[in-house]
Amino acid sequence: MRPYFEKMTEFGRALKKGRIKSTEENLNSIKKIEKDVADEVNRVKLAGFPEEKINARGQMTVWQRLEYLVDPGTWCPLHTLYNPMNNVEGTTNVIDGIGKISGKWAVIIGFDNKVMAGAWLPGQSENILRVTDLSKRLNIPLIWLINCSGAKLTEQEKFYANRRGAGTPFFRHAELEQFGIPVLAGIYGTNPAGGGYQSISPTILFAHKNCNIAVGGVGIVSGMAPKGEFNLEAAEEIIEKAKQFRAKPPGSVNIHHDETGFFRYVFEDETGVLEGLKDYMKDMPAYHPKFYRVAEPKEPRFSIDDLYRLIPLNPKRVYDFDEVLARLVDSSEHMEFRPDYGPEVYAGLCKIDGFLVACIGNRQEYLGKNYPEYADYPGMGGKLYRQGLIKMNEFVTLCGRDRIPIVWLQDSSGLDVGDAAEKAELLGLAQGLVYSIQQTDIPMMLLLLRKGTASAHYLMGGPTANRHNAFTLGTAASEIYVMHGETAAVATYSRRLVKEKEAGRPLEPIIEKMNKLAKDYHEKSRPLFCAENGLIDEIVPIHDLRKYLVAFAGAAYQNPKSICPHHHLILPRIIKG
Amino acid sequence: MAKEIAAPLAGRVFQLKIKAGDTVEAEEEILVIEAMKMETPVFVPWDGTIRKVMVKEGDEVAEDDILAVVDEEYIEV
Repeated sequence: MRPYFEKMTEFGRALKKGRIKSTEENLNSIKKIEKDVADEVNRVKLAGFPEEKINARGQMTVWQRLEYLVDPGTWCPLHTLYNPMNNVEGTTNVIDGIGKISGKWAVIIGFDNKVMAGAWLPGQSENILRVTDLSKRLNIPLIWLINCSGAKLTEQEKFYANRRGAGTPFFRHAELEQFGIPVLAGIYGTNPAGGGYQSISPTILFAHKNCNIAVGGVGIVSGMAPKGEFNLEAAEEIIEKAKQFRAKPPGSVNIHHDETGFFRYVFEDETGVLEGLKDYMKDMPAYHPKFYRVAEPKEPRFSIDDLYRLIPLNPKRVYDFDEVLARLVDSSEHMEFRPDYGPEVYAGLCKIDGFLVACIGNRQEYLGKNYPEYADYPGMGGKLYRQGLIKMNEFVTLCGRDRIPIVWLQDSSGLDVGDAAEKAELLGLAQGLVYSIQQTDIPMMLLLLRKGTASAHYLMGGPTANRHNAFTLGTAASEIYVMHGETAAVATYSRRLVKEKEAGRPLEPIIEKMNKLAKDYHEKSRPLFCAENGLIDEIVPIHDLRKYLVAFAGAAYQNPKSICPHHHLILPRIIKG
Repeated sequence: MAKEIAAPLAGRVFQLKIKAGDTVEAEEEILVIEAMKMETPVFVPWDGTIRKVMVKEGDEVAEDDILAVVDEEYIEV
């Protein structure tokens, strides 16, 4: 199949002087938002005790551990700003992402030992479940840096119980193990109760000499047997017991290495733990990239920084999707699927880091007087029509047959509406696409270039496709809402306006409410809101987008659950004809 | 040589960014047409000088209507 992939059709063209001149403001506006996002990321990094204080205790921070553990240049953080319960700590207290360790991709997560010694906080279990889902979807090892002091007891009602509560990740670890996905854990510090299960639930435990893991820690052991109230006598008893257990906390290395043998290894230094993980990662199941690559990896022919000029921040602004894609894929080459059908949808085969990847995106331009063919009005890109939906159904299904991971690049205002669209079967074709995705068991990711709106947001590989979407990335231009805020205000208040008018009452109070609703929609659709609430998994600076695509492609092909030999691929043959 | 810039679609001239006599560079945005809730920028394909602007902001235009005439410096091949 070398002739198919070694040299594919080139697309895209270099920006000219006039375009550069006209897009200066757009570039500056996007960079300003990226600066705001970077400030927020920095705030999370600085949460809790300062690094110097942790280091003075002889410990590394989670950030230092990650830096030591992960191969340079490969770290792709996820969920950095995720804080769905609006914790005062400003974080769910776990740091995670994808990166390479000893040359192999892994999902990596660690407790932030600067914040309440890595305690469970509200929203944390949801964060962890996203991470275990990611490891399962990509079929790659999950690496834990455990340093978990247990629950933040003053807020336990928010996260301890429930279907997706703090204990659920332990079941997910077991599930990963059932699927043959290793969960490796480096263990530091004091890990009582929930921290104990965090530590014991992985597959192999690498312990630092000062760590301990236990069913209950000092606080619990010294305070058991409730007496109905506290008094001075009880307080003295607590003090005595606490001193005793603090001197010798339960579950230390001499118990769980020397007696139980739960700890496979114990290391003198913190870095020794990380070296142990690195050493084991060398032996994790993984194909050599040459097994799956269809060509030598190559950078795009155009600078990725052109995207600051090509992706308009203004959501109403039309742009050339193909030029965007040409800045993301190897050599700016592709094989487009059915280019003469469903023009609002781009579907094609591209290479990322030498791996074959399917890309699906929304073209944005005017589609001509005669499209959609079923209506007496012209079509506009960004919307989905009958042909585009059929094309995506076909393409996704063929990708499943050929085992080709899918990158969705979404910027859609939704489906065409009205009786003509209903007669053209859009509703059925849209749910048909959901069916096509569901029966296509391959990793997918979503890059939300700009608008994620209406049903198009979940139809086009959005995070609601839980079993398929590995992660969803946003940009500074991303925005997510069920519909534009002004549309929502009209939908909510139009009948009320009619009533008020007919009753001869002033319209201003209703207009004020409409403006308030539209403003609220705007504020709750911004990238920072989306990241804090988990609507996207990370806001990625445009300059770094390809790095995430490389991570996705490499991870998806590291140890896939099924194989389609290159010479059995049907999709490139269908495209070639 | 003078070349005409035609409207890529029908709509309303939302923003006009040029006037006669302006020097423009290839792919510079010269106006924006609003149609179907979207804003479509119109770019001049060549370096040149604006000889004549045929529309003003707020004008409704049909597809292929002439928007401006540009004296091009050269034609790219």
